Amino acid sequence: MEVIDAYSASEAIEILPIKAALEKYGWLEELSFSLIPSDKDKYVKEVADSPELLGYFIRIKAGEKVLLPIQTCYLINSNNFTQHTHNIIIAEENSEIHLISGCTSSAHALSGRHLGITEYFIKENAVVTSTMIHSWGKEVEVYPRSAAHVGKNGKFVSSYIALSSVKRLQMDPLAIIEEGGLGEFYSVIYAHEGSYFDVGSTALLNGNNASSQIVSRVVSNGGDVVTRGKIIGQKPGGRGSMACNGLLLSEKGFIHAIPELLGNDPALELSHEASVGMISKEELAYLMASGIDEERARSLIIEGFLDLHIPSLPDYLQRQINAIIKQTKLSDTL
Amino acid sequence: METHILDIAGLHVSVADKEIIKGIDLTIKKGEVHLLFGPNGSGKSTLLSAIMQLPGYTVTAGNIRIDGTDTKSLTTDAVANLGVGISFQHPPKIPGITLKRFLQAINRSTDLAQEVIELDLEAFIERDINVGFSGGELKRAEILKLYAQNPDLILIDEPESGVDIENIAVISKAINKILRINTLNKKSALIITHTGHILNAIEGDVGHIFIDGKIVYTGDPATIMESIKKRGYKESVVFLQAEKEREWDEKHWIQGLWKRLKTLPLVRQATNQPPF
Repeated sequence: MEVIDAYSASEAIEILPIKAALEKYGWLEELSFSLIPSDKDKYVKEVADSPELLGYFIRIKAGEKVLLPIQTCYLINSNNFTQHTHNIIIAEENSEIHLISGCTSSAHALSGRHLGITEYFIKENAVVTSTMIHSWGKEVEVYPRSAAHVGKNGKFVSSYIALSSVKRLQMDPLAIIEEGGLGEFYSVIYAHEGSYFDVGSTALLNGNNASSQIVSRVVSNGGDVVTRGKIIGQKPGGRGSMACNGLLLSEKGFIHAIPELLGNDPALELSHEASVGMISKEELAYLMASGIDEERARSLIIEGFLDLHIPSLPDYLQRQINAIIKQTKLSDTL
Repeated sequence: METHILDIAGLHVSVADKEIIKGIDLTIKKGEVHLLFGPNGSGKSTLLSAIMQLPGYTVTAGNIRIDGTDTKSLTTDAVANLGVGISFQHPPKIPGITLKRFLQAINRSTDLAQEVIELDLEAFIERDINVGFSGGELKRAEILKLYAQNPDLILIDEPESGVDIENIAVISKAINKILRINTLNKKSALIITHTGHILNAIEGDVGHIFIDGKIVYTGDPATIMESIKKRGYKESVVFLQAEKEREWDEKHWIQGLWKRLKTLPLVRQATNQPPF
């Protein structure tokens, strides 16, 4: 396995295969596995011990703002293959970068494992948005491990979208947010029968006035979903809010929402809301009373439920995400 | 061709096993506008919900026909597609679906740009349905929905509730416009009104007083409203009924005279049957 292509059209951004980056920059060794310890769990360990080091290094230079998204992609194209990746993203002071990654397996590769590690280093006043869209096969197991260090007044926005089947997916990305920084996590999950998701996000408000928002929208159409959120506040002025909403379409499957708030300073404002339920009969009847048939009405409500407004994302990226959600033929599975 | 858009016969409706509608007969001819007056909790909204076959409203006896079709086994969307539109008193909020998307889902072919302006809803078209809408905005959005649907029979539940005078004028004008979109083929309507303000702009053909699940009086809507303002609902029924009998007597004095003569023993003996 090899990195097929690495190229950046802009001088503001440096993109290298991780192996080449580690050879080029001696200091990178120190950052590597600093946010995610190499012995964190068996999956991280497996990646750390992997003889084949795959992944990318992206660095946006200080003061540079690149609004067009940097697109990355991983593909599993053979059965029973385990993919090990390690990515490092560095956003230098006052820079801005938008990443969109699509991970998928090709039609003939239904089984396999994806073990991916991503470490983000967001320096002072820098902005990083990372949008991940997963589309795996029914027998694929996925264990992404990611963590971000958000420097003073920096901003990290992580959006995760998974609308197709997967055998088992477990992740709990972490953001360590320093003074005045912001970390936002959004996740949109549609769990088909036979899929198991355990998706969480953890925000550690490590500096004064750090803030975080965690929003998750989960639809289970027979799949099992554990949706976690954890905000840990430990410095004055920290603010955090969380909304975990789940919609159940079938008698099979479950949604287990576990929102957690942990505060140890009196000058913190942390809150959460969570809900799990079925489609509102009142909303359905309202739409049907204008002549829309039940199936279409249900799809409109589900699409609407999954349609996240992410104020921190550039408009075009928000539109792209919403288009993906709409294009996914949710109605086929209703 | 059917001359009645709505035919309700012997209708009883229950909600959660409690009978709310207790025997109603109501016929609306094509092109007619009927108004329903009645105190809160009398079952007026239940009647509209039953016509729409909304879930939770069980017809326990009688039937409802829309343009000749019995709606008994139809779903709500099928009733709507027979040409029935409803403006709800309390429409739900639906986060995630914009008003624009909703209108497109109802009808992709009609351009409603003009109606959006007339109803002063330009700023709301990209917003989620009814989320954060004021009373007037809710009603205006409901009317806009009716434009998209273009039904033959329009059911409107309290268009004036929670709405200021200025909005009532806009809403009444819009309802009037829908009713007259096609002058040759006027639409029919059943409108629940509390204040009767709507009568300033809309010409109603028939009015009904609705008390405790029954229609207890039917007559001219303007006269009914005037009486309700003076006497309230129950007193109006007694008064209007007496008025009706008096008017009947005046118009038909021969029959009235005969009625009285019939009570005399001699006349009773002379005739076994009344001549009229």
